[in-house]
Amino acid sequence: MRLKDQFQFVRQNMKKNRTRLFMTILATAMSVAFLIVLASVGFGLHKSIVKETLERRIVTEIEVPGKEDENGGYKQLTDEDIAYFEKIIDVKAVTRRKSLQEYLFVTGNHEVFAQAVVAHMPSETKAGLELSKGRLPKAENEVVVGYHFVEELHPKDAKDDLYDERGQIKDEYRYKEDLIGQKISMNVIKLEEGKEVKEPIEVTVVGIRKQPTKEWNYDNIVFVSEGVLKQVEDFTGTPRGILKDSNNPDVEVPNIAADQYDQVKVYAKDMESVKNITNELEANNYPSYSVINELKDVNMMFTIVKTGLIFIGTIAILIASIGIYNTMTMAVTERAPDIGIMKAIGANPRTIKKIFLLESSYIGLIGATIGTLVAYGISFIVNFGLPLIIKQAFGEEPPEELTFSYIPITLPIISFLICYIVTILSGLRPAQRATKVDVLQAMRREV
Amino acid sequence: MITIKDISHEFEIGKKGNKTIIPVLKNVSFEVNKGEIVTIVGRSGSGKSTLLNLVSGFIRPKKGEIIINGVAISTMNESKFADFRIEHLGFIFQSFQLIPSMTAYQNVELPLILKGVKENERKHRTNEILQMVGLYDYKDHYPGELSGGQQQRVSIARALIVNPPIILADEPTGSLDSETEEDLLNFIITLNKELGITFLIITHDEKVSQIGHRTIELRDGRVLEEAYAYEA
Ligand SMILES: Nc1ncnc2c1ncn2[C@@H]1O[C@H](COP(=O)(O)OP(=O)(O)OP(=O)(O)O)[C@@H](O)[C@H]1O
Ligand SMILES: [Mg+2]
Repeated sequence: MRLKDQFQFVRQNMKKNRTRLFMTILATAMSVAFLIVLASVGFGLHKSIVKETLERRIVTEIEVPGKEDENGGYKQLTDEDIAYFEKIIDVKAVTRRKSLQEYLFVTGNHEVFAQAVVAHMPSETKAGLELSKGRLPKAENEVVVGYHFVEELHPKDAKDDLYDERGQIKDEYRYKEDLIGQKISMNVIKLEEGKEVKEPIEVTVVGIRKQPTKEWNYDNIVFVSEGVLKQVEDFTGTPRGILKDSNNPDVEVPNIAADQYDQVKVYAKDMESVKNITNELEANNYPSYSVINELKDVNMMFTIVKTGLIFIGTIAILIASIGIYNTMTMAVTERAPDIGIMKAIGANPRTIKKIFLLESSYIGLIGATIGTLVAYGISFIVNFGLPLIIKQAFGEEPPEELTFSYIPITLPIISFLICYIVTILSGLRPAQRATKVDVLQAMRREV
Repeated sequence: MITIKDISHEFEIGKKGNKTIIPVLKNVSFEVNKGEIVTIVGRSGSGKSTLLNLVSGFIRPKKGEIIINGVAISTMNESKFADFRIEHLGFIFQSFQLIPSMTAYQNVELPLILKGVKENERKHRTNEILQMVGLYDYKDHYPGELSGGQQQRVSIARALIVNPPIILADEPTGSLDSETEEDLLNFIITLNKELGITFLIITHDEKVSQIGHRTIELRDGRVLEEAYAYEA
């Protein structure tokens, strides 16, 4: 029997009990729509989080916190490691910073607390450091400050109503002059017999960094030179100007080598090379943290979530398949006399089986198609309507990049496959039964 | 064309432990030659239908062998026998056995569909056969909208459509009045003469048995005698 005729035959047969057929297709469509919509929430959230991650981080940035040694210990990075990093293929820049303490910086009547950091300016520039004003430091006492350093400069008095309702310093308290070329004193502190001793170190601001592109990035760091660091260390007598504990002045501060870095970041040429660089680092005992790691965790978690959701949806399809099984069993019973006649005149049992399997897969595929269309509709409504509802209910806009429901093309494909397999399985037994119809019995019944 | 060799058959009735064995056919042997009309007569319950069902392959013999067109049908599995049946055997039943949800045309066309014949060829052939049995004007009628004689002609058309060399008929006139019966018998004779189709016909009607070149009588499951030959 030709395939075209089989389809024709099946279509004709299906018309025989439209109500039953409709209900079965409806149940299948509902279960498929359920699966897709349910899983689409997982896909949607995953997509949103990946998008957010990529936006939040500089995607080519790889943070290297240290090196693992043979005993499972952790070693801070030094120039030797940096030299190695710079040789790795596709590495654009390696920034390394030594952190000092937070100091009170004072200029005229204004002051601000800020972190002092020794940065390697050539690599910072290569990594993308940009100034909004001024130039890079050349002399020992020249510094470059962050965007928020200027923003946060405030008068020494008037502490109470410094900020407006948006959390910014009120206009009247702002530092209005040009900071470039200004001398600032950096107030270094040490403890002597339990008492704070202050030593101002004079520095000159020569550059101000650009406002960070990401709104939530806060940059009030002051880049100082190695020379300033030396002055600080000479004064405090501790590495990096660490303060001794005032309660236990005898406790030794940790020993920090001069070429040891507190923060090392490797910048890849592009996002594609991040993975290779991370692998290379990993292989050489440098654990690293980059967008790859973060996404790996996110992807892993969402793979589990999505699998779980698809599994729950599959249960719905399995329930719908009971309907298909029932429908097909009834169809076989009803059509037993016809099957008997067909067998008598020479219909091959295999053909009969195929026809019934075709019928059940027809139900499954029509159901899956309708279900998929409905799911797309629901997904659209949810993405369109839910932000409105949230806004109404909580008076707050949901994050812009949040997708509640996302249906990648793989999802309908997966559900079609699941639906198809399930319908074939549920149609198998009825189809088998159809081939077993006894010719004589079937023909006798008709008389 | 058809060789029946030492066929015995019995039915088992009842449940386990309380079985009754009903012997129906005992060592039946005969032969039907190509181009012959052979009729089988016998009293009700003598095993005529059982014999034909064995030849048709609807039941399998407990003992003996049936050879059709040189092939022992007991060697074929169900699927193979189905293919064999659609090529070699046409069937006419007492109660017509038409599919009620299909029109006369569709019923006649069905064997060609099952055989996998192309649509335009099917159309041509089906119309031709319907014309031949004089039912072309009724082709869109459902079986329920046709008289008994018309239904039987539809079923004959269905049997003829694949050009089978053999037609098996179990009481083909059983549901027809005597006038229609006569038409049918004439038609069978014509088919036999012009197309050379071999017929094996079961009947307990003398008029029907008379069209056979030979008549075989069954009594209590045995072949009683081979009767006269019919002269054309
Ligand atoms: N499926 C069956 N199960 C048990 N016994 C059966 C079965 N089919 C037929 N018989 C028995 O076999 C015997 C022969 O039946 P069969 O139908 O062959 O007779 P027949 O010659 O065709 O009779 P009729 O002229 O009335 O049609 C009968 O006694 C019947 O009861
Ligand atoms: Mg009978």
